[in-house]
Amino acid sequence: MELLLFILPVFFALSVLIVPKKGVRAYGIIGSLAVLGVVIACMMQYSNDGTVHLFADKKDWLSGITLSFGYDGISLLMLLLTAVLVPLVLVSNFKNELAENRLFTSMVFFMQLGLIGVFISMDGLWFYVFWEITLIPIFLISWWFGAPERKAALMKFFIYTFVGSLAMLAALIGIKVNAASFYIEDLKAVVFTSKAACWLALGFFLAFAIKIPIFPFHTWQPDTYTKSPMAGTMLLSGIMLKMALYGMIRWMIPLFPEAMACIQYPIIVLATIGVVYAAVIAIKQKDMKRVFAFASMSHVGLIAAAIMTWDFDALSGSMVQIINHGLVAVGLFLAVEIIERRTATRNLADLGGFAKQAPKFAFWFAVLAFASVSVPLTSGFIGEFLMLKGLVQFDMIIGIIAGTTLILGAVYTFRAYQLSMYGPVTRDQFADLHWSELIVLAIIVIAVVILGIYPAAITDFVNPSLKIVLETVSTPSGL
Amino acid sequence: MDALLIVFASGLISLFAAFAKKPWLVVSSAMAGLLAAIIVIIVQLQTGKAFFDFLTYEGLSFDQFALLFSLAICVLSLLIIGIGYERFKENPTHTGEYIGLLMFSATGAMIMTAYTDMFMFFLGLEILSIPIYVMAGSNKADVRSSEASLKYFLTGSFATGIFLFGLAWVYGATGTFKLQEIQMKIEEMDTLSPILMIGVLLIMASFIFKIGAAPFHFWSPDVYDGAPPAVTGFMASVVKIAAFYAFLKMFALCFGQGELFLFWKGALVVMIIITLFVGNLSALRQVRFKRLLAYSSITHVGYTLLLFVSQVDFFFSSQYLWFYMFAYGFSIVGIIAVAIAVNDSEDRIDALRGLGKRNPFLAIVGIVSLLSLAGIPPTSGFFAKYILFSAAWKSAAWLVIIALINSGISIYYYLKVIVAIASPADQEQEKIKLSPLTIAVLVIALAGMLGFSFVLPLL
Repeated sequence: MELLLFILPVFFALSVLIVPKKGVRAYGIIGSLAVLGVVIACMMQYSNDGTVHLFADKKDWLSGITLSFGYDGISLLMLLLTAVLVPLVLVSNFKNELAENRLFTSMVFFMQLGLIGVFISMDGLWFYVFWEITLIPIFLISWWFGAPERKAALMKFFIYTFVGSLAMLAALIGIKVNAASFYIEDLKAVVFTSKAACWLALGFFLAFAIKIPIFPFHTWQPDTYTKSPMAGTMLLSGIMLKMALYGMIRWMIPLFPEAMACIQYPIIVLATIGVVYAAVIAIKQKDMKRVFAFASMSHVGLIAAAIMTWDFDALSGSMVQIINHGLVAVGLFLAVEIIERRTATRNLADLGGFAKQAPKFAFWFAVLAFASVSVPLTSGFIGEFLMLKGLVQFDMIIGIIAGTTLILGAVYTFRAYQLSMYGPVTRDQFADLHWSELIVLAIIVIAVVILGIYPAAITDFVNPSLKIVLETVSTPSGL
Repeated sequence: MDALLIVFASGLISLFAAFAKKPWLVVSSAMAGLLAAIIVIIVQLQTGKAFFDFLTYEGLSFDQFALLFSLAICVLSLLIIGIGYERFKENPTHTGEYIGLLMFSATGAMIMTAYTDMFMFFLGLEILSIPIYVMAGSNKADVRSSEASLKYFLTGSFATGIFLFGLAWVYGATGTFKLQEIQMKIEEMDTLSPILMIGVLLIMASFIFKIGAAPFHFWSPDVYDGAPPAVTGFMASVVKIAAFYAFLKMFALCFGQGELFLFWKGALVVMIIITLFVGNLSALRQVRFKRLLAYSSITHVGYTLLLFVSQVDFFFSSQYLWFYMFAYGFSIVGIIAVAIAVNDSEDRIDALRGLGKRNPFLAIVGIVSLLSLAGIPPTSGFFAKYILFSAAWKSAAWLVIIALINSGISIYYYLKVIVAIASPADQEQEKIKLSPLTIAVLVIALAGMLGFSFVLPLL
């Protein structure tokens, strides 16, 4: 049954190419719901007791590569996020011509295949392979369907991320030569001197820092987000950068606990700089999509900093925030897209007054904006609270600086909301939500509010697995 | 030995079949011969017994690795004849010569994999090279093709001369041509004789020339660019396989011990670094497709040479080499098929634009081949490269890091071609029709690029 996690995306990615044009929309949504069904079934069977291994066979498959796949609570949560967001992305594209395109739908499924692979790989090289597989579909989606002046930005994106991944490959080879195989437990068993561990951990960090992105490796991000089609931006910010956060929890820190002493502080500082830096830039943006691009960078920088504190509460807060950010980012980019569809511009100076013409849209967008600035009773609140608590415990000053994100976040989010929704009416007409847009916004908002009231739904699920990860690293044998 | 004879005989047969002036007859007899050779090799690999046991010659020994590399040579020659058929049949009077020469060249390549004696190696090298000098100039109406032929001939024969010169020094130092005896003689030496060292360096220079690594690479862009695409594909895949394996056999087995290894290793490391950077940096600004491929193949030579300094056991290093060359050969077949089908007289990269509309299948093959050349998972090119790098890491980690940096540089120009294929054309262009033979070959190449690394462990 777990094999379906691989088979279904490949099957739909290939079969959608021969579906008649009219059926592509429905076919894509059905396919993504089928994957969601499989993931939910996996979650039902999972009983919170460590790692489920998919193939029992751990023997050497090709030059140290083993066929080890499996999942624990953390992986399952990421799988669920992927499986939920893909149908949402497809539904939110329902009104676009894009959704009719077979290649687009096919690429989304290939992307999903790569993401699923990343989240269930228990073998270093498979992790790398799937990590790279995700890059090609997202690049092609943005290349084919993006804004006219996309080319330079996308080349930069591809080369940037590819070079980062090569650093990770170098680090992987560097551990492998000392380990029996690429199986994660074998890799963890290798003990390094702290200097060697630092260099190897930096290889991983480069790949993750570029993907997340952490200041100063972020220069590809705003342009790529802005020039990609909306679906591409959603996939990038909603799920793809979560791969890097997941990679930090699953691979970077457990593999190199020796390196924690030398990389922990610099990474947290860089991530915190990113939090404030991106938030300040977001305040000054004219392009609405750019505002949320920088907002995404700011939020994710906080998650990265919280993960690096390697504190239990902060980690479980970051899991909540990963889910929250995935949902909210997709919602916010959809809101931008809704405005762009109707007015053909994203320039904040040309917008205004839509709240009167489209009250339903104004309501849902407002709730999303609240969730984005972590108002209590939305899932963002509990996540950011736990993460900031961890950061303050780690270092008071860093915690306070990172805490400004709450204020700055409110400034840029509500500035964008106010300039677009309130003010004098600028358009003769502004149609209210289409049903497909309404469904996506409503699902996201309801999920965010439910998780805000009852975050234990997430934390109870991942905490046992987080505890295991945390313990293996902090026990003497790990250190 | 059986496969060698079969390939040679079918080369002769296709020469005679040319009298009928029917290209399909020539091509099918050549392909039938190669298929038979492949089957014979596989049977011999399985059973360990040759069909004609009595046909043995001490200068040639078809051991397991010689057979594996001969298999790669036969498979890739078969694929290249398959994609080149469209071009070969344009000129029915000369099809026989081209195919015949290609088959003889493949024979030479097989001799180069199986030699145990410097003399046989030299024969194999000449049998391999001379047909290619002719084939490179086979497009007589094109000045560039003639230039390629002349250039390749002049520089190639010069390199052969250097090889013979080096061989003379080695003979002077050891007094024998046989690989095993040379090896024993070198082991017996207390101190390395300078005569031997000069000889080894000269032989290495000629090899470096043959595989087209810097600083002896200057012929390769012009020759790759000027030669007809199928010949370029043949040079990039089959010739490289033979030259690399011969190189590995001679240097890992014969000159690969102790001080002598350290002596040529230093020179080779410098050459690897130059090769990687020269190949990559020159490729960045190319506008012509086959010229880009030439520089990309120079870079791949650089990656492959990592194996020579990796100090891995010959048993493993030849396996890795086999895998790498096979994966690389499949990608070359795919990309050459694109070049043949697009058939732009100027050979510009921009001419690839709109390929997705003109023929989606060809576009997919092209993109996958480029991804495989760039070493992006899940293509075989990635796994092959990974295995090479991890083999070299232990002895030369910093060299692997340089190679990885170069992979990062190379992604730029591969990406340039990929996006050209994925972009729409400026004006409407006619659709490209592929013959069933080409499609069959491309399906094999595609399966090789995507599935080879997954099937390999099962073998």
